[in-house]
Amino acid sequence: MTELRFARDVYAGEAVDEAVKTWSRFADFALTETEAHWVVQVTPKHEAAARQIIGEFGNFVLGLTVDRGGVS
Amino acid sequence: MSSENQISFTDIPDAIASASGTDRSVSMTVDSELYPLQAVYGASYIFIDRCYVFIDRPAPGSYRITLSAKQSVEEAEALRQLVGEFANELLSCTWRHQVTQDNRVAIETVTVQAIAGAMGEPSLDDLADFDFTDEALDDPLGIAQSWEEKHGRPSPDAKAKTASEPGADEAKADAEEASA
Amino acid sequence: MKPINLAEIKPRPGTQAFFRWRQIGDDAILITNLEGNWLILTVEEFTQFARGESTPDSPLHERLLDKNFLRSNYDVQAASERVKARKYFVHGGPLLHVMVVTLRCNETCVYCHASRANMDEVDTDMSIETARKAVDLALSSTNGFITIEFQGGEPLVNFPVVKEIIEYATERNKEIQKRLEFTMVSNFALLTEEKLQYLLANKVQLCTSIDGPEELHNAQRKLPVSHNAFQAAAGWIKRVNEAYIEIGLDPTLYHVEALLTTTKATLGKWKEVVDTYVGLGCKTIFLRPVDPFGFAERARLRLEYPRGEYLEFYRKSVDYMIELNKQGVEILERYAAIFLTKMLRGEDPNFLDNRNPAGAGIGQLAYSYDGKVYSCDEGRMLAATQDQTFCLGDVDTPYRKIVGHETIRAMVIATNLDQQPDCVNCAYNPYCGTNAAYNYKAQGSVFGRMRDNNVCAVHKGIQDYLFEKLAENDPEVMAIFERWTTIRPREHFVQDPGQTPALEAAEAEV
Repeated sequence: MTELRFARDVYAGEAVDEAVKTWSRFADFALTETEAHWVVQVTPKHEAAARQIIGEFGNFVLGLTVDRGGVS
Repeated sequence: MSSENQISFTDIPDAIASASGTDRSVSMTVDSELYPLQAVYGASYIFIDRCYVFIDRPAPGSYRITLSAKQSVEEAEALRQLVGEFANELLSCTWRHQVTQDNRVAIETVTVQAIAGAMGEPSLDDLADFDFTDEALDDPLGIAQSWEEKHGRPSPDAKAKTASEPGADEAKADAEEASA
Repeated sequence: MKPINLAEIKPRPGTQAFFRWRQIGDDAILITNLEGNWLILTVEEFTQFARGESTPDSPLHERLLDKNFLRSNYDVQAASERVKARKYFVHGGPLLHVMVVTLRCNETCVYCHASRANMDEVDTDMSIETARKAVDLALSSTNGFITIEFQGGEPLVNFPVVKEIIEYATERNKEIQKRLEFTMVSNFALLTEEKLQYLLANKVQLCTSIDGPEELHNAQRKLPVSHNAFQAAAGWIKRVNEAYIEIGLDPTLYHVEALLTTTKATLGKWKEVVDTYVGLGCKTIFLRPVDPFGFAERARLRLEYPRGEYLEFYRKSVDYMIELNKQGVEILERYAAIFLTKMLRGEDPNFLDNRNPAGAGIGQLAYSYDGKVYSCDEGRMLAATQDQTFCLGDVDTPYRKIVGHETIRAMVIATNLDQQPDCVNCAYNPYCGTNAAYNYKAQGSVFGRMRDNNVCAVHKGIQDYLFEKLAENDPEVMAIFERWTTIRPREHFVQDPGQTPALEAAEAEV
């Protein structure tokens, strides 16, 4: 399991949600939050591709955030 | 986003950039007063074909961008090049951000004229096909719903309603998560 | 060149109106304004101007006044009219419609691997149905001028579809009444007398590729069987030029033009390249640098070169062309003609890759053999490498959705130099343009970064050269530049909207 902490003033919460939905085929996700972060615990379903899954998930969240024009 | 086996670049201050050979990643810390978030987004986005990119806020007033190369990186020089390229792109995006604000009216005027000129006036068929409703904004999977809304508003009705619809598993998970 | 010292000059706001500047010689500073007027000042004059100290009734003051560089006398109306004239194309809509009738090609070029197919890959031919829909889409353009350009692959490989497009478009245009033209870019190796007669009868403008002298051309463009791509092209250039004379056209205006792709091997052969073109009867050379589209990555090292070397090649070539012109030989360089038209005439020749904003989507569309529609030909070539970024839909997509596509909006913004760092301050802003598809391919975003952008380096280098020539003010050279910017329209190639397409000429062969 890897914990990713997405700063709330950088990443849109909706983007994290949507990315989790899209990537749930490839990893299990547990979501919590702090005052400053969206906290996502990622457990890739394919160990051999763990780095790729976590990395692409992170890019996906960034891409969706940019698509939305950033954090509202 | 962790780093081991730190590498220093002789020509870039440690306070700005540090790299990890084992993670084939490099992190850069930049001043958010100098580089607005929109510029950080712009520069970061350009690297997502080559790198996994994470942005965080190590302290108020700064952004840290971590670039983790998708392909194996043999030498520290390759990581240094990533930092250098990113820094140049970030500067370019920052300036563009400013220039775009300064020239917004001119840019918008030209763009609207160009697109409207190419499209021409809508025909009656175009108008007949135009969606005047708000249905395009419907969001059956709750994707557009914000994290805050979901976590702050448990909805037992939604659970019962969505159980028989496509995507029910995800909706159920969302609802459970929301009520947890 | 010894750079001027701004700290010594001490510029300050004063009598100047908005201007941009660039040093082009030891004692020559170019200043340009928003509407594209320009002056070349000595360092002493520039110092006065930059300090806002131009003295009324002085010769400098008169020159500044005449070109609208003075704040107190700034003629807003005149500036506005000139900007409007320069930007007349903005709302015109797509006029160039590139139709890739097949990817199959009989030649194998060293710089073109990804966007061609072998001769047996007939599935890369455009179908008649797709061709008709592409024509319908093209004729839906808001632009009253429509040029359909046949490309490939090699368009002659799928001649039945070329014919279909010509005949269907001509027939439909009877009702639509646009100013319709056809052009074909071909290596000519598959041309026959019958096909030529058909193309002549239907007023199709013909253009080919010549990469320089025979040895270089054949090394870069491999033609199976005869193994002499150069002779194949050269023979037909001569024949087409003869045919134009036979039908009564003025040979100084109507002749085959050719396109050059400058590779590393071309750079040392600037004189041979020019001599070859002159020998073939061409009046124009377009010294295009190789671009990053369509060729395999491994070919890049063999073909690419630093743009500084290209600019040396460019200077030597154009210097030589100017010398030939002085001896009465009529030959012009196309890049120079494009820029000079903007600099000297205040007009824009509407070259789609070098205007502001660029023509992708709003000035041109590209139709691939499979019916997909792209913002530009470069976008189509990128798709051949599995990147569909510039795909706007297909021939079944409504026209307004194609040109109103969000990718087009992004490209229009990205090629607007008023949002481009560097360009906003560049003295060449009024005459220049950037290419979003190139920026995307080379630098990862449609915006690009002009400081390390090859297209920018080439555009700046060419304009440096031209302004140096303008600064020299040699009357003979100025007269040559005047000729290079005199556009003589080729009215013969405009289809008569009332005319029925000529079918007979080709029946025997195709």
